[in-house]
Amino acid sequence: MAAYRGSLLARHGRAGGVTGLHAGPSRRRAQAAGPIASGQRAGNSPAGELGVAPWVAVVGLEIHAQISSSSKLFSGSQVHFAAPPNSLVSFFDASLPGTLPVLNRRCVEAAVMTGLALNCSINKKSLFDRKHYFYADLPAGYQITQQRLPVAVNGSLSYSFCVGGKKNQMVTRTVRIKQIQLEQDSGKSLHDDTRSQTLIDLNRAGVGLMEVVMEPDMSSGEEAAAAVRELQLILQTLGSSQAIMAEGQLRVDANVSVHHPGEAYGVRTEVKNINSIRFLARAIDYEIQRQIKELGNGGTIMNETRAFDDKLGCTISMRDKEGKQDYRFMPEPNLPPLILYDTKSLPANVNHRQVVNIDWIRERLPDMPSVRREKLVEQYGILPEHSFTLLNEEGLVKFFENVVRQTQMNPKKVIGWILNEMLHRLNQHSLTIKESPVSSLFLADLLNLLERGTISSSAAKQVLEELWNGEGKTPLQIVKEKKLERIQDQQELEQICQAVMEEHQEEVMEIKKGNRKVLNKLIGLVQRTTGGRADPVVVKQILEKRLS
Amino acid sequence: LKWKLSFQISAALKEGQVSPTELCQRCLSLIKATKFLNAYITVAEETALKQAEESEERYKRGQILGDLDGVPVAIKDNFSTAGIETTCASNMLKGYIPPYNATVVQKLLDQGAVLLGKTNLDEFAMGSGSTDGIFGPVRNPWSYSRQYREKCVQNTQTENEDSNWLITGGSSGGSAAAVSSFTCFTALGSDTGGSTRNPAALCGVVGLKPTYGLISRHGLIPLVNSMDVPGILTRCVDDAAIVLGVLAGHDPKDSTTVQDPFKPFELPSFIDASKLCIGIPKEYHAPGLSSETLALWSKAADLFENAGARVKEVSLPHTQYSIICYHVLCTAEVASNMARFDGLEYGHRSSMDKSTEVMYAATRREGFNDVVRGRILSGNYFLLKQNYENYFIKAQKVRRLIANDFVNVFNGGIDVLLTPTTLRDTIPYVEFIKEDNRTRSAQDDIFTQAANMAGLPAITVPTAVSERGLPIGLQFIGRAFREQQLLTVAKWFEKQVQFPMIQLQGMMDHGHIVSLHQKSASLS
Amino acid sequence: MEQKPLPQKTLTVEVLDHLERLALVDFRTLEGVQRLEKAIQFADQLHAVNTQGVEPMDSVLEDRCLYLREDNITEGNCTEDLLCNARETVEEYFIAPPGNIPLPKLNERDTFLQVSE
Repeated sequence: MAAYRGSLLARHGRAGGVTGLHAGPSRRRAQAAGPIASGQRAGNSPAGELGVAPWVAVVGLEIHAQISSSSKLFSGSQVHFAAPPNSLVSFFDASLPGTLPVLNRRCVEAAVMTGLALNCSINKKSLFDRKHYFYADLPAGYQITQQRLPVAVNGSLSYSFCVGGKKNQMVTRTVRIKQIQLEQDSGKSLHDDTRSQTLIDLNRAGVGLMEVVMEPDMSSGEEAAAAVRELQLILQTLGSSQAIMAEGQLRVDANVSVHHPGEAYGVRTEVKNINSIRFLARAIDYEIQRQIKELGNGGTIMNETRAFDDKLGCTISMRDKEGKQDYRFMPEPNLPPLILYDTKSLPANVNHRQVVNIDWIRERLPDMPSVRREKLVEQYGILPEHSFTLLNEEGLVKFFENVVRQTQMNPKKVIGWILNEMLHRLNQHSLTIKESPVSSLFLADLLNLLERGTISSSAAKQVLEELWNGEGKTPLQIVKEKKLERIQDQQELEQICQAVMEEHQEEVMEIKKGNRKVLNKLIGLVQRTTGGRADPVVVKQILEKRLS
Repeated sequence: LKWKLSFQISAALKEGQVSPTELCQRCLSLIKATKFLNAYITVAEETALKQAEESEERYKRGQILGDLDGVPVAIKDNFSTAGIETTCASNMLKGYIPPYNATVVQKLLDQGAVLLGKTNLDEFAMGSGSTDGIFGPVRNPWSYSRQYREKCVQNTQTENEDSNWLITGGSSGGSAAAVSSFTCFTALGSDTGGSTRNPAALCGVVGLKPTYGLISRHGLIPLVNSMDVPGILTRCVDDAAIVLGVLAGHDPKDSTTVQDPFKPFELPSFIDASKLCIGIPKEYHAPGLSSETLALWSKAADLFENAGARVKEVSLPHTQYSIICYHVLCTAEVASNMARFDGLEYGHRSSMDKSTEVMYAATRREGFNDVVRGRILSGNYFLLKQNYENYFIKAQKVRRLIANDFVNVFNGGIDVLLTPTTLRDTIPYVEFIKEDNRTRSAQDDIFTQAANMAGLPAITVPTAVSERGLPIGLQFIGRAFREQQLLTVAKWFEKQVQFPMIQLQGMMDHGHIVSLHQKSASLS
Repeated sequence: MEQKPLPQKTLTVEVLDHLERLALVDFRTLEGVQRLEKAIQFADQLHAVNTQGVEPMDSVLEDRCLYLREDNITEGNCTEDLLCNARETVEEYFIAPPGNIPLPKLNERDTFLQVSE
C-alpha cells in the first residue's frame, strides 16, 4: 500500500485545517496507562447530573524541539538566538535559485539520540519531503520535512505527576510517541501594523527541528504538562535540544477533544501559541472545560485551531485560512535516502564521517531522568518526590551530590538543607542553582560543622545567611568571627546557667514546685544568652542538676 | 577560432601563436558580429577581458592553471554566475545578480577559462526550441551556412530571407549556437529531457549529458532536480572529454553528486570497435522519424558491424511512456521549484501590495510566461491529495519500469545503445511555432528523455548533413558512470563519419561578419 | 486497484479556484484552462501501463546513501549580498506586505475564472 497520508501531518502547518477525528481508542493505551475510569480523573468531569455520563478528555501533543547544533539543518549558517537580523542566513536559507540542501550530521545524531531515549524504533532508512505553502518567512515556498518515513517511530515516554486532594500521591503514566521527524524551522515575521508591512528575518529559517508527535493518551492539562516537562528534561539530559520554551526552542501544540466513555472520540481542536509549561496545563484545561460547556449547552465543537491567550487565560479561535489547505507533499529530490547503520550493518571501508551508527549512539546515551531518579533514591535513601525536585532544576543533582561527597552528614539530612534552605532562598531571589551565591563546597563545610557539633542548627542557619550575602568568607571564618561555635567549656556553661537562674527566680520556683514545663523556658533563655551556641542537651543536664 | 579545444587551442596558447587576450577579443567581436543569432543574453565583456589578461600573465609566467587556461567559454543563463546577471530568460529574474558561482562555473574559472557570457534559452529551460524566452528566439547558425543556403535556393524560388531561419532546438539553443558559430570553444547547457543533446544535434555540435550524480548541480537553477544534469557542448568528442574531466566529481554542496572519486581521462587515438556490442532499441523506430535520419541510423549500425562490432536489436518496452511520465514528474517538480519565486528576496516584485498573497500572486502572474504558469498549474494539480497517487506516484512507478528496461538491456551484454537524437533535422521558426510548447517538447525529447529518467550518460555526435543541408546527429547511451567507454565509442564514430564543418564564410548576409571569419579561418 | 476506472475529468470552477489559491498563479485565459485539461488528458495515458507491484522511484540515487555535513559554521554574514537583490528592504529586513490575509474570493479577484463561472 502506498503511503501517502497527508492528513496526519497536514495539521502541523500554520493553517492547521484539521479534519477528522482522533484515531479510535487504543488497546495499547489501556495497557500502558491502565484503564482510566473517568470519575477518577481530576478536574474535567463534573459528575453526571441526572444520570448523564461524565465527559472524558483526550489530549495529544505535537512538540517542536529546536535541535542544539552549531549550524542549521541543511546549511552552514550559524544557529543563535539573538543576532542582527538576516546575519545568520546562507544563500540556501534565503532560497537563492540553484542552492541545494546538505544535511547536518549532528542534527541526525540528535534525532537518533532522542528517538532512542524515547524507546523508538530508529528507521535505518528515512526520507525527506517537501511540504508546500506560501508564507512570507518561508522563502522556498516549501518546508523540508519527513512526511513519509521519519527517522524514528513507535516510542513511549513515562512521566509522573501528583494526584489526590493534597497532591501528595504520585502516579506514573506512559504516552505513546508516534514518531520523531526532522524538519526545517521557518524565519520570523514581525508585523508592523502602523506601516502595514511585515519585516522578515531569516536567521531562524532552516534551523533544525525535531517534531515529536505524542498520541492522544493524556486526559488533562496537568498530565500533558508533566509529559512535556519530562520530555524537556530528557532533551536537556541528551543535549539534543536546550528546550527552553521562553526562547521558542520547545513549541507545543495540543489536540484536545472530549467524549463520553465508551463512545467515539469527539471532534478535536488544536491549541497553539503556548509558551510555557504552566500555560500548557491552563490552556488545555480551559479548552476541555470550554468543550464540555459547549456540548452541554447543545452546541458543537468545530474542528479548528485556537490560540491560547495567556493574559485572558482562555483559548480563542484563530481565523483559519479560507478554504482547505493541501500541502502537496512531494519527495525532496535533492536529498537521497538517509541511511543509518548499526554495528551489524556497518559496511567495511566506509568513511566514518559519513556514518551514523545507531549502536554507537545507544552505548553512549546518558542516564535518562527516570533512571537517575531511581539511582538517587536507591543510593541516598531520599524520597522519590525529592528525586523529582532534584532533577527538576538543571545542576541541582550535581550540587546535591557534591555536597554529599564532601560532608559526613547523612544524605537524607543533606536533601532537607538543600530543598528547604537552598531552594527556598534561590526561588525567592529567582536564581538558578548555577547562580547560587553559596557553593556546594561551602555548604558542605557548613554542614560538617553542624554534623560535628561545632555549631548548632540555628547557628548553621545564621552562617548560611551570611554565606548567602557572602563576602567570600568560609563558614568556619564566619563561625569564628561571629563567635557562633558551641560553648564546649563546661565551666563557662555552668556559670551562664547559674546567672540565668539567678535572674529568673520566679521560674526557678515554679520548676521546684514541680512544673517541669518551665524548664524549657529556662533552656531557651540560656540559648538566648549564648546566642544559640550552647548544646541544649548539656544545658538541660546542668539546669536539672542545679535545680534538683 | 575554429580550433578544437583539445590539443589545438591549448597548444596554440602554449606556443604563443595566439594570446588569451587576443583570443578573447576575437570571440567578443564575433559575438557582436553574430548578435542577430541571439545566442547570448549577457556578454560579460569587461570581466572576460580581465580574465583573459590574468590568463595572459599566467602564460607569461609559465604557471597556467590547466588545459582551459585562456579558453573562452559560454554558460547557459540558468547557471548562477557571481556578479553576472542570471535571468533564465524570464522576467522573474531580470536584473538578478547572484552572489555566488555555480560549482561548474567555478571549476571552469579555477582552470583559467574566460567566461564570455550567458547564453539564451527557453524561459527556465522549459522548451525544446529556444524560442520561448523573454529575449526572443535563438537562430540556428546553419540558417546562414553555405550548405543550407545552396539547397534553399534550389528548393524555393521566392526565397524570403528572413522567414526561413531555423530554430536551434532547445532549451540550450544559445549554447549550441555559440559553439556552432565559433564564438566560444565550449559552452555549458543543461539537460533534463534532452535540452543539451537536442540543440547540439540540430546545430551540428557534440552534446554530452553525463550520468546523473557525476556533475554538480549546485548553482544550476533547477527544472527537474531528479533529472537535471549540466550538459557539455563542444565541437568534437575529445573536447567533451576534457571539459568533463574538469567538471566531474563529488561536490559537498550537492548531495546528489556521488562520492566515488572521478578520474579524468583522455580518449585513445586508436580505437578497436570490434569488441563492442551495440544495441539498437527497436522502439526508437518512432512515428515521425524522418526517412533520412532512419537511413543514417542504419548506416551507422552498419559501420559498427563492418568494424567487427556486434550489433543487436534490443527492446526498451516502456520508453514510449517516458515523455508522458516526464510530463507529470516535470510539472510536479516545476510547481515545487517555482514556489520560491515570490518577489520577496530577489527577482521581479509586483507593485500590488495589499497583502503578501496578493503581492505573490501578482508577481508570479507578471513574472512567468504562459508555459511556466501552465506547468505550475498542471504540477499542482498532479500533486493534489486526491490526484497524487493516480498521477505522481503512478509516474514514479512508470519511471522505474523505464529505468529497469535499460538495466535489463545492459545486463544483457550491451555496451552502448545507438539511437537517433531527434526525429529529423531542424525546421524553420515559422514551422516550429505552429504547435504549442508541450506538444513540441513531447515530440522533440522523444529519443533523449529516457536517458534522463534512468540517469544514464548520453552523447549526440553530429553525423551527416541532410538533403536540406542541415546537420543530423545520432545518440549513444551508455551505462551509468561509464563515460569513458561511451566517449570512446563516440570518438570512434566521429572519426568514421567525418562530419563536415559548417561553412559560414561569405554566407552571412550581415556582411560585417565575413572579413572576421576569413581572418579566423586563416588561423586554423 | 491499479486499473480502477478514473473519474470523469471535469474541471469545476471550484477546483480551478483551489489551484489558483494553492499555486498563486492564475489561469489568465480560457486557453490556460484548456492547457490544463490537455495536460491531464496527456498524463492519463500513463494508466495504460501496468505498474502492479512496482515501487515508485524518487531518484536514480535511491541506493546511495546521503552525504552528511559536519556541524561547522561555514556560511552566513552576507546580509548585504542578500538584501541587495531584494526590491524592498528596511534596515536589515526583507519587507513583505501585510500577511495572513487570504486572496480575495473568486468574485472579488482579478481572474479569468469569475468570467467563466
